[in-house]
Amino acid sequence: MHELIPYIPQFLTNALKSIPLFMPEVYLSVLFIVVLLTDLIFRRNSQVLCKIIACVGIVFVMVMDINQPLLLINSGQPNGIFLFNNMLLLTRSAVSFKFVIDVLAFILFLYFDWDRRLRAHKKGLSDMYTIVIASVLGLHLMTMASNLLLVYVSIEMVSIASYLLVAYRSESSSSAEAGLKYALFGASASAVMLYGISLIYAYTGSLNLYGGNLVPGLAQVNSIAASFALVLVFLGIGFKLSFVPMHFWVPDVYEGASTPITAYLSTLPKIAGFALLSNFLPPFIFFANWHAFDFRLFLSIIGIATMIAGNFAAVLQKNVKRMLAYSSVGHTGFALMAIVTFNVQGISALAYYLLVYGIANIAALALASYFTNLTGAETLDDYKGLGVKYPVASVCFVIILVSLTGLPITAGFTGKLFVFSAIYNVYQQNHDIWLLILMATGALTTVVSLFYYIKIPLNLFIRHTDILSDPVKSSYNLISLTIVLSVIILLLGIFPGSILEYL
Amino acid sequence: MLLPSSMRASYKYITLLATLLQLGISIWLYLNFKTGAGFAGIDHEAQFQFMQKVPWINLNLGSMGTMQADYFVGIDGISIMMLVMTSLVMVIAALSSWEIKSNLKGFFALFLLLDMALIGVFCSLDFFLFYIFYELMLLPLYFLIGMWGGARREYAAIKFFLYTLFGSVFMLLVMIGLYLSVKDPATGNHTFNMIAMMNPANYSTGSIFSVLSHQTIFGFPARTVGFIVLFVAFAIKVPVVPLHTWLPDAHVEAPTPVSIVLAGILLKVGGYGIIRICIGIFPEVAVSGAWWIGLLGIISIIYGALNALAQRDFKRIIAYSSVSQMGFVLLGIASQTPEGISGAVFQMVSHGFLSAMLFFLVGVVYNRVHDRDIYNFRGLGTLMPKYTVFIMIAFFASLGLPGFSAFIAEAFSLTGAFKSLSFNGLLPHWMAIVGAIGILLSACYFLWTLQRMFFGSISLKGGEIWRAAMADLNTREIIALVPLAVAVLAIGLMPSLVFDKINDSVLELVNFTKNIIR
Repeated sequence: MHELIPYIPQFLTNALKSIPLFMPEVYLSVLFIVVLLTDLIFRRNSQVLCKIIACVGIVFVMVMDINQPLLLINSGQPNGIFLFNNMLLLTRSAVSFKFVIDVLAFILFLYFDWDRRLRAHKKGLSDMYTIVIASVLGLHLMTMASNLLLVYVSIEMVSIASYLLVAYRSESSSSAEAGLKYALFGASASAVMLYGISLIYAYTGSLNLYGGNLVPGLAQVNSIAASFALVLVFLGIGFKLSFVPMHFWVPDVYEGASTPITAYLSTLPKIAGFALLSNFLPPFIFFANWHAFDFRLFLSIIGIATMIAGNFAAVLQKNVKRMLAYSSVGHTGFALMAIVTFNVQGISALAYYLLVYGIANIAALALASYFTNLTGAETLDDYKGLGVKYPVASVCFVIILVSLTGLPITAGFTGKLFVFSAIYNVYQQNHDIWLLILMATGALTTVVSLFYYIKIPLNLFIRHTDILSDPVKSSYNLISLTIVLSVIILLLGIFPGSILEYL
Repeated sequence: MLLPSSMRASYKYITLLATLLQLGISIWLYLNFKTGAGFAGIDHEAQFQFMQKVPWINLNLGSMGTMQADYFVGIDGISIMMLVMTSLVMVIAALSSWEIKSNLKGFFALFLLLDMALIGVFCSLDFFLFYIFYELMLLPLYFLIGMWGGARREYAAIKFFLYTLFGSVFMLLVMIGLYLSVKDPATGNHTFNMIAMMNPANYSTGSIFSVLSHQTIFGFPARTVGFIVLFVAFAIKVPVVPLHTWLPDAHVEAPTPVSIVLAGILLKVGGYGIIRICIGIFPEVAVSGAWWIGLLGIISIIYGALNALAQRDFKRIIAYSSVSQMGFVLLGIASQTPEGISGAVFQMVSHGFLSAMLFFLVGVVYNRVHDRDIYNFRGLGTLMPKYTVFIMIAFFASLGLPGFSAFIAEAFSLTGAFKSLSFNGLLPHWMAIVGAIGILLSACYFLWTLQRMFFGSISLKGGEIWRAAMADLNTREIIALVPLAVAVLAIGLMPSLVFDKINDSVLELVNFTKNIIR
């Protein structure tokens, strides 16, 4: 112990210096405690209060995020700065991802208690806000983690929150099944990842991705052994991203969980997973003597497989949530395309794509909630003829689905455009045939995705039903949320620059 | 520029007014359209008229430079005729929308959205803008066919949508490739400007579509691949056999106004795209592939005509005749002679009017008795004399009777194909001859239909009920049909109405492709 004493002041000053750049996370921690206390003090009546506090608090966190690029520039290291003794790496793109996560978290906070089934929970939703805020803190750490230990801890933080959320409302057997399945698979995935991390530590004696012996050491190890360890780590990350072959849990869990939880699962952890991946890869990519494992090939093949599996499986689905679940797997594949560019432009295209995907996916699920609230509709067949009865919601649904498909003039189109341009640019420099196959698959699966997305408007507008249910009083808050989101999607489609420049 | 603003119109008269206003504007443009070698357009930005260029997207993308897409519209000789044709056909389509009874607000909103997209496609000179309008057509059409269509509307609508989207997503990839290859000479940014894409000097060296760098994709020359992808995208629209199978379904299931728009205007987007984009941007590939394009053209002519002969559904006959007639467009384009391309543009205009007229006429019968089987009708000539007059005008005009527009168009396309061997050696003579046989076949099916349905003694499947329902044309229908008949006859008798406007642009295009080859 004694020999470590001289280092302590140095560690402490480093930690203290890091705190100003750690403000969003500090705010999140405070927010977590405040919401927790509100819940404890006000008990049953705390739901609305918790919601308000959570929403306001997350806005403050967003403000802190927006300040961070300036802080980065002021600190003299605009490309990225290490915090807390190389545990965290704060870069420009990490800030973008954090911002995207917070925006989506804000939308989700609004949405949670507007879902009738979730609101009917007898314990109230106050706990849920606490859990989600804690998970957002974990997500923030994921975007910045630069040490394998922290990678593992932050993923676990998010995972445990997700297990709780999935099982939050478990009165039905399918929901309970989903919760259990998710927890079991998640636990085994993280165990596998931990095994991979421990192998890497055994090979190199270091857990620090940037600096230290990790990458050079791993480059000298037998390439099969190194690849094995890396693949294990990827399996853990892949569970969060739900790429093939780690996507098998997605449909059951998304269908079984309450709709707002599905909206949470299909967006936030996925985005943070991509952020983590974009932090994890550069040390290997830019290390000149790295030949053991071709990341581009590996990720390209996974991306192609994911796009194909997700989109083609979605075609066969009858349940709306299940269909959206498979489609989100397909979107993961598409986003992987942006990762394999391995450059800044690709990452900013990725952040934009994920933001747009997140907004559209949450909006689509919010509309699914809306229709379930009103008519109990869950399968595509139940949607028949609803378009005439609820025209506003249905038109919004069409806009959102068009955006998810990626057609103009919606944000989804611009997102696709930026990803394609980023990868084309790389292709122009290195003529890697895999990139071309990736793009062709991306284009092809867009057509496939239209085929299933269009089923919703098809049932809403074109098919008619004989069953005439009485129109139920519609919930205005959900519909106004989706209108706002649709307008944002259209505006981003016409003026993509307004956001992309800051990502 | 020509965008109808009354999107929320819940009223058919507002739609009609909007389309009439648009017709007025386009006629004004037509009258003020300057001709002469100085206004040829094609690859000279300064020679376009009524131009509007507003910077739209200007993104700083770091390593990739600035992304530049403008709201850049303008017209030259080829687009002006498309505009006039589109706006006239739109008026007719609006008039025929009287038959729509349910959900009027939705119908007319989608109709005007479609209208806006179509006009936008013909005006835009920025590839990005073009693509957006191009895709924007799909969704309204999907709903127009799907919600107001016939019995198999779901199938027809999704088939149409998937076919077109399949072409256009790959077009998107080529568009991005072009964009990353081309630099705006003025600003040094990458640009979507189509006119900049036409000048080989604007391609940065080593870029994928650069003329000089001879890049390959999957082992094929990149520019050939790019051309083929774009050509397939537009060929689906035209439609060229074997990519035509969506067309009979979509046309037959669509309600009359949508059929009119589909056949009258939408098919022309394909032809226009081939002229403006495929040939404009990849001229040297267009030349080397001319033989194949010509072959596809005559296959479409013959195959479409033979299929039309085999049909017994009135609307299907006309749908297949569209395939056949659009084959002439492709043949004319393939010849790359001034005559051929003029003929192709003329054919697009003429077919726009004629197919609108034919589909309107089919709609008249269908509205009255909800049947279109040719065998169920006989002797309509005595029952509906006025109707028969218009049918005869439309049929004889379509089969290429001198004095009507299709004659001029087909004559020029075929002349172009004949001349091609001596002019640039692209197409052999036999293609022109086979094309001429197509005219003969079209005479067969039109005359057969005419004889079967309209001549002889009255005999209807539905007996007296049908007979009572088969009232002759009412005033609204006559008002819709007369302008089309007049237009067909006018440009048939005075082809200079069209040729004067397009000539400079066509000559410029031909020169441009010839220069590129040297």
